[in-house]
Amino acid sequence: MHWHRNGVKHLKRVAKPVFFIVLVVILAFTGIVFFGVHTQYGDFTTTVIRGVGDIRWGIDIRGGVDVTFTSPSDYDATDAEVDAAKSIVETRLVANNITDYEVYVDYGNDKIIVRFPWQAEDESFDPEEAVKELGATALLTFREGSEKSLEDGQTYEDLPLILTGSDVESATAVYRQKDNSKEYEYMVSLKLKDSGKDKFAEVTERLSSETPKGYISTYMDDNCISVATANEKISGGEATISGSFTADEAKELADQINGGALPFKLETSSFNTISPTLGTGARDAMALAGVIAFAIIAVFMIVLYRLPGFVAVIGLIGQVAGTFFAITGFFSFSSSFTLTIPGIAGIILAVGMGVDANVITGERIKEEINSGKTIDTAIATGYKRAFSAVFDGNITMIIVAIILMGAFGTPDSLASTILKPVFFMFGASTEGTIYSFGYTLMVGVILNFLFGILSTRLMTMSLSRFKIFRNPVLYGGKSAKKRAAENAAVTEGGAVK
Amino acid sequence: MNNKKVLNFIGARKILFAIPIAIVAITIIFNCIFGVQMAIEFKGGTMLTYSYTGEIDTNAVKSVVEGENYGAVTVTTGSAMNGSMETVEVSFSSSEGLTADKQTALSDKLKESFKDNNLDLVNSQDVNPTSGTEFFLKCLVAVVFSFILLVIYIAFRFKKIGGLSAGVFALVALVHDCFMVYAVFVFCRFPIDANFMAVVLTVLGNSINNTIVVYDRIRENRNLYGNSLSLRELVNMSITQSITRSVNTTLTTAFAVLTICIVCAICGVTSIMTFAIPMMIGLICGTYSSLCISGPLWVLWREFYDKNHKDSNFNSRKDDKKDGKNLASTAVADKKKLMV
Repeated sequence: MHWHRNGVKHLKRVAKPVFFIVLVVILAFTGIVFFGVHTQYGDFTTTVIRGVGDIRWGIDIRGGVDVTFTSPSDYDATDAEVDAAKSIVETRLVANNITDYEVYVDYGNDKIIVRFPWQAEDESFDPEEAVKELGATALLTFREGSEKSLEDGQTYEDLPLILTGSDVESATAVYRQKDNSKEYEYMVSLKLKDSGKDKFAEVTERLSSETPKGYISTYMDDNCISVATANEKISGGEATISGSFTADEAKELADQINGGALPFKLETSSFNTISPTLGTGARDAMALAGVIAFAIIAVFMIVLYRLPGFVAVIGLIGQVAGTFFAITGFFSFSSSFTLTIPGIAGIILAVGMGVDANVITGERIKEEINSGKTIDTAIATGYKRAFSAVFDGNITMIIVAIILMGAFGTPDSLASTILKPVFFMFGASTEGTIYSFGYTLMVGVILNFLFGILSTRLMTMSLSRFKIFRNPVLYGGKSAKKRAAENAAVTEGGAVK
Repeated sequence: MNNKKVLNFIGARKILFAIPIAIVAITIIFNCIFGVQMAIEFKGGTMLTYSYTGEIDTNAVKSVVEGENYGAVTVTTGSAMNGSMETVEVSFSSSEGLTADKQTALSDKLKESFKDNNLDLVNSQDVNPTSGTEFFLKCLVAVVFSFILLVIYIAFRFKKIGGLSAGVFALVALVHDCFMVYAVFVFCRFPIDANFMAVVLTVLGNSINNTIVVYDRIRENRNLYGNSLSLRELVNMSITQSITRSVNTTLTTAFAVLTICIVCAICGVTSIMTFAIPMMIGLICGTYSSLCISGPLWVLWREFYDKNHKDSNFNSRKDDKKDGKNLASTAVADKKKLMV
């Protein structure tokens, strides 16, 4: 659209139905974003499109665990080792039924940052135990002899090593008959790799021929989990570990062996747990607060700016819905975003910016109408004049958001890469909560251009074509009668600058 | 537009500047006397929060924890949440970090020693002192870097009205607002934590936006009126024209935050308070600083600068003339409009 600076030269008209089209699109979009789309089949609910109920809340809201592991201070891990450690930690998380975790690595400082929420469905969830398991080195070793054969001052490491976990192809928990008895028990069955097969066959052959028969001890780190007598040569590449396990213990051990050993010891450098009691109430309260706060904004906008205010509220609904769209990830297959308290601050600020854009525009339209312009010209000029302030304000906001995302985001994100020279002396991502602020702010501000400016302009212009909406009072202006009286007074008193 | 009385902001500058200076002075004195709490996430250390029932002897808790050789231990009690839960906080600086094992051991020991109190771990925080300091520094670098980029952006976008100095005085307003947020934390005795950073960042964004709206009006009026108005008249008029917008926006946003505050307080979510209260005050301060500090200060600087640099003053006039040519007609047209 082209305007001359003051008088409006080409007024592009917006057709009457545009308001209804924009309204319906925004409301439909909002409905889908808030409620999501779920299909029900028997007892199973499949999420097609995520709603607000499917938002992944940060651990500062719903409770959870935030732990940072580092390598021992005298050990410099290579990037490949850190990666290996990360994937092992992930495997262990999944093995613990924790699927909604976040794991970040910082190669510079050999840090692995793990966050996972409280497992709501698990009453007996013990975060300390979970963290201990995550950080366990899990080096499985088979050794000749048993602790009893150790002399004073010797440790288990002095027992001759037969195999390590890396010689194991796979481990499974099995329920099997004990050797030489009718009892059944849980044990872990190991399938050995070719590298281990021959070695194991050779050692079992030698130990079983000794009198008395030799022992084979199995260690997980420095913890002896089973001691078995070598009864015969085992050449089939299958070994079992038995140690009067329960079903869960056997499964856990098998998972640990499958997960593999960590290339280096993980030490805890920071460890935070937040109980869900601090969170659950917070979430509902926050939702309620959000709805009431929005209602208050709506009342303010409509009272202050009437028709443009009403249109602004519709635009703001769209903006909020759009922000949630970006947080939930919308489609069930796309990745979703974790919403934290600073993230909510970002939404508030972005909504504040949306309100501001409409306030600035509303004020301008009011001014233009009161200075005697026609409604069409006033609306067009109002939007045009307000734009530069809104534009500059939003761009500065985007600058702040990019810096925050760069400073506190994951190391491989775009913003982090660009800002690498600024934050080079710092390790990567240590505070995901602030990243969340940058993200919601960024999304909100971009949406502000779409909803706060474009959609409201279309809607206001389209509504202004209806005869009943052509009263200046609806735009905060003075009625024609009142203005005529005022003008008369001004002319009498001489021009006022 | 012009039948509103133009308020003389620059004339009233002494009062306008005195108020924040007084607040800053009081805050600094208060800060020196009472100090400010740094949260664990910045200073490093360990804090364990347990819920308990009945009466608990904090000194006894302290001696039990001290028995574990963790260095200086502080034990405080408080009530968290909807008042239904009494909590006891144990904090100490553990240089070698708190492992899951140690935490379990300590918790078991405390539970064992205070069986009647039904201790239950609510929250645990352990931050390595170096990573705490690093996080704090990173936040500072992020804020300072944002400052620099914002000044550059303003300098570029507002070069017609002397962008760089305008940017620098926008920055003064920003620093003022960040300090006011800090003041709220000092007076309310809230610990400086990640919420503090979130509030500072929000207020920073809000304040720069407020200042830009005023500058935008100055820029526009400069185009309309050229040099027919003195700098003081120009800025006073622009600020006056921005008041309604600033007050409306701030009222709307601050009320929304106040609602969040009240609703959360009623529902017992007090953790949001350290976030919402400073944010509300910061939003109001941001409006004050953009109306009453950055504009008037900028005018004083320009007047001072022009007095000492006659040449550049001359140059800037020449520039204005160049700009003025194509704007002259519009300015005249607008004045006519204003007289209607």
